[in-house]
Amino acid sequence: MDQSRQITAMQAGAIMGSTIIGVGVLPLPLFAVRAGGSAAPLVTLIGLLVGSIGLSIIIWLGIRFPRKSIIEYSEDLIGRWPSWIGSLLIIGFFAVLTSLAAREFGEVVVTSVLKSTPVEVTVIVMLLLAAIATRNAITTFAYMHYFYFPLLLVPGLLIVALSLKNAEAINLQPIWMQHSHGVIRGVLTIAALFQGNFIMTMVIPSMIAPRKSIKAGFWGMTIGGGLYVVIVAAAVAVFGAEEIKNLLWPTLELAKATSLPANVLERLDAAFLAVWVTAVFTTLLTSYYLTIYATRQIFRLADHKMLSFFMLPFVFAMAMMPQNIVQMYDIVEQVGQIGLCITIGYPALLIMISLMRKKRGKPVADQ
Amino acid sequence: MPTSSYLKIIYSVMMLLMASSLLTGCWDRVEIDERAVVLGVSIDKAAKDEEEHESEVTHVEGSLPAPVKDMVHVAVQIALPGRIPLGPGESGGASGNPGQTLWVVDVFGHSIDDAFMNLQQQISSKLFFGHLRVIVISEEVARRGLANINDFFRRNSEVRRMAWLMVSKGNALDLMKAAPKLERIPTLYLMSTLDEGIKMGKFPKDYIGIFWSNMSKKGQEGFLPYIELKKSDNVEIKGLAYFKGEKMVGATKPLEIAGYLGLRGINPAGYRAVITIDNPPGTVITNVAHRSSKIKVRINKGIPHFTIDVMLEVNVEEVIGGESLAIDNPNILTEIEKKQNEASVKFYEDIIKKTQRKKSDIFGFGEYVRAKEPGYWKRHIGTKEQWEKRYPDATFDVHVVTKIRRIGMKAK
Repeated sequence: MDQSRQITAMQAGAIMGSTIIGVGVLPLPLFAVRAGGSAAPLVTLIGLLVGSIGLSIIIWLGIRFPRKSIIEYSEDLIGRWPSWIGSLLIIGFFAVLTSLAAREFGEVVVTSVLKSTPVEVTVIVMLLLAAIATRNAITTFAYMHYFYFPLLLVPGLLIVALSLKNAEAINLQPIWMQHSHGVIRGVLTIAALFQGNFIMTMVIPSMIAPRKSIKAGFWGMTIGGGLYVVIVAAAVAVFGAEEIKNLLWPTLELAKATSLPANVLERLDAAFLAVWVTAVFTTLLTSYYLTIYATRQIFRLADHKMLSFFMLPFVFAMAMMPQNIVQMYDIVEQVGQIGLCITIGYPALLIMISLMRKKRGKPVADQ
Repeated sequence: MPTSSYLKIIYSVMMLLMASSLLTGCWDRVEIDERAVVLGVSIDKAAKDEEEHESEVTHVEGSLPAPVKDMVHVAVQIALPGRIPLGPGESGGASGNPGQTLWVVDVFGHSIDDAFMNLQQQISSKLFFGHLRVIVISEEVARRGLANINDFFRRNSEVRRMAWLMVSKGNALDLMKAAPKLERIPTLYLMSTLDEGIKMGKFPKDYIGIFWSNMSKKGQEGFLPYIELKKSDNVEIKGLAYFKGEKMVGATKPLEIAGYLGLRGINPAGYRAVITIDNPPGTVITNVAHRSSKIKVRINKGIPHFTIDVMLEVNVEEVIGGESLAIDNPNILTEIEKKQNEASVKFYEDIIKKTQRKKSDIFGFGEYVRAKEPGYWKRHIGTKEQWEKRYPDATFDVHVVTKIRRIGMKAK
C-alpha cells in the first residue's frame, strides 16, 4: 500500500463536516434573517448550494490531478509565475481567515463568559493550540477531525431538538423570500462560511481512493451544511425573524433559552460554549493547516513544521487589527465575499483551462 | 552537539510559555461568596423629591451630565451566601422572615444601569445576574415604556431568557420585601406562582425571552403577567398586562387569561366558568379540561378576516343552583353545552374587541396575516406600526364547540 495515501473517505467527510461547523454558527441565523426574514432557512440552503458548487470544482480538479494539490497543478496548467499569484492569494486569504476566526472566537468569549480576560490572551491561546496541532502530518490531521466530529455534531443536534419545544411553525412562514434586497449578499456571506472545504485540495492527494472524495464531499456538506440549515430553522422558529435581528449571536441565545428536561441543566449555553470551543479549534486547525501546507508547497520545502510557528505572529497581528466588534463583522463579511473569488472563481478558471488543454495528472491505481 | 542544545533551550522556553498561558488561571475567577447573587429586581418610578438621594456614580455635573429621564427606584434581592437552606431537613428560613435568606437593598438612578452602578458602589461584592429569576416592574413604569429596561437586560450576557418579567399593580418594591410562607426564598415563591400557573393551565408561558420575541414580531404585541400583592403576602395573578410597542396600554381580568389561552388553544386547560341555563333553571360550574383552536385568515374586501374555531372539552365540577337539575340527563348536558358555546363566543369576542380598542394584538393575528397572506401583508401593511393601525379594523368570526365529557364522582 502507498504509505502517503492513508486517508479514507469517511475521514475526508469528517474533515469537511467539522471544518464547516465553526465560529460561524453563532451569528449564522442573524446573517440569514437579515437577508431573507422568515425565509432564512431557504437563504441558508441556497448558500449551501453555492458552497457546494465551489467544493464540486475542487473535487473535480482533485480527481483530474489525484497526486497534486491546487498549488502544484496550477503550475502545470497556467505556468509557474501566474500560478504563484493565485497560490499567494490563497495563502494570504486563508491566513486572514484564520486570524478572523480566532478574533471572532475571542470576541464571543470576552463578551459572554470571560469578561475580564484580555481578548489577546484568548486569541493567542487558541492560535497556539492550532499552531501546535498543525505540526502533524496530514494523516494525523485527518484523525483529529475524525475524532472531534461526533463531539461537535451530537450536542449541536441535541440543542436543536430540545429547543423545538418552544418553536412555533408560524415563525417560519412565509418560506419564500418577500424581497430581493440583500438576499444575494446574505447568500454569499453564508456561502463564505463553507470556504474551509478548500482543504480538500490538500486532502485528495493523500486519500486512498481519490474518486471517493465525491462521496466524502457529499456527506460532509450534507451533514455540516444540514446542521446549518437546522440551526437557522430552529432559531427562527423559536425567536421569530424580527427578534433575531436584535440578537448578535442567536445560536448562543438559543442555547441559553433551552433547558434539559427535568431541569437537569436550566440553561445550555455553558455546555454549548464548551463544545463550540472545540468546533472553533477544528475550523482554525483547517484554515491554518491550509495556509502553512500551501506555503510549504509553493516554496518546495520538505517539511511544514517550522512554518507553523513562523506564521503565528503574522496571524496574531492580523487578528488584532479590527478596532471593535462591529468593524470585525464588516471585515468578516467583506473578506468572505472576496474569498469566494479565490475559492470558487480561481478553481473554476483552472478547471476550464484544464478541460481546454485536455491536461490531466498521473492517475492513481485505485478501485 | 551545539544544535541539539539550542533546540533544548528553545523547547524549554516554549514549554514555559505554554505553561504560563495554562497555569496563570483565570482572570475571571470569582469565588461564590465574593459574588452578590441577585435573585430578584424591582423597578419603580422614583418620586420627585428623591433625586437628591442619588450620588453621582456614572455621571458628573458638567462633563458627563445625567440623562434627561425620569428617575427609577430599583431594589434587588441578594441571596445571602450560606443562609439559603438547601434541603428540607435544614431549619432556617421557614420562619417566614426574608431577612434570613435575603438582603433587600434599594437605590435610585436615572436608568437601570445607573441604578445598578449606584448599588455596586454601596456593595462590596460584584453583582451577579446569572441567577436572576424575577424582575417586577410597577404599572406606572410599564405604562411609561420598557425600552430602557429591555435594552439593559438584553445586552447583559448573564440574564437568562427564562426569567420572569412581571407588572405589579401598585408598588413593586413591596413584592421584594414580602415574605410568603410557602417558600423560603420569596423570589422563588413569585416564580413558582407563575410556573405552577402554567402547569395548572392558569397562565401561558411568557418568560422574558418570549415576551421579547412577541414584542419584536411585526404582527404581534407583547404581554406580561399582571400581579398584585395580597394581605398575607400572597400574590394574585390579576390578568395580562398588554402592551402596544414597549408601552403597557391595559390589563385584562383574571378570567380573560382563559380567553387568551382558549383562543390560542394552549394546554393544559385550567379555568372554570359559571354557566346558567334557563330550561330547566340551574347554574353549574364547568371545568375546561382541554382546549384546541384553529385560526384561519382570509382577505375580505381588503380587510383581514379571521375565522377562529375553538374546541373545548369540559367537565361539570359543581352544581350551584337548582337541586332538581338532573346532570345524568343527556338533554340537560346538551343544554349546558349550548349555553357555554353561546357564552364563550361572546366572551372571546369581547376580549378581542378590548385589545382592538387599545390597538394591542397580543394574540398575534397579524402574524397569521404575515405568514399566510404575504402578498397582502407586503402591499398594505409591512410594518409593526401599520398593523397596529389596521388591527382595530380586522373582523372576526368565532365558533366554539363545547363537549362535556365527565361529571365527576356523583351519579346525577
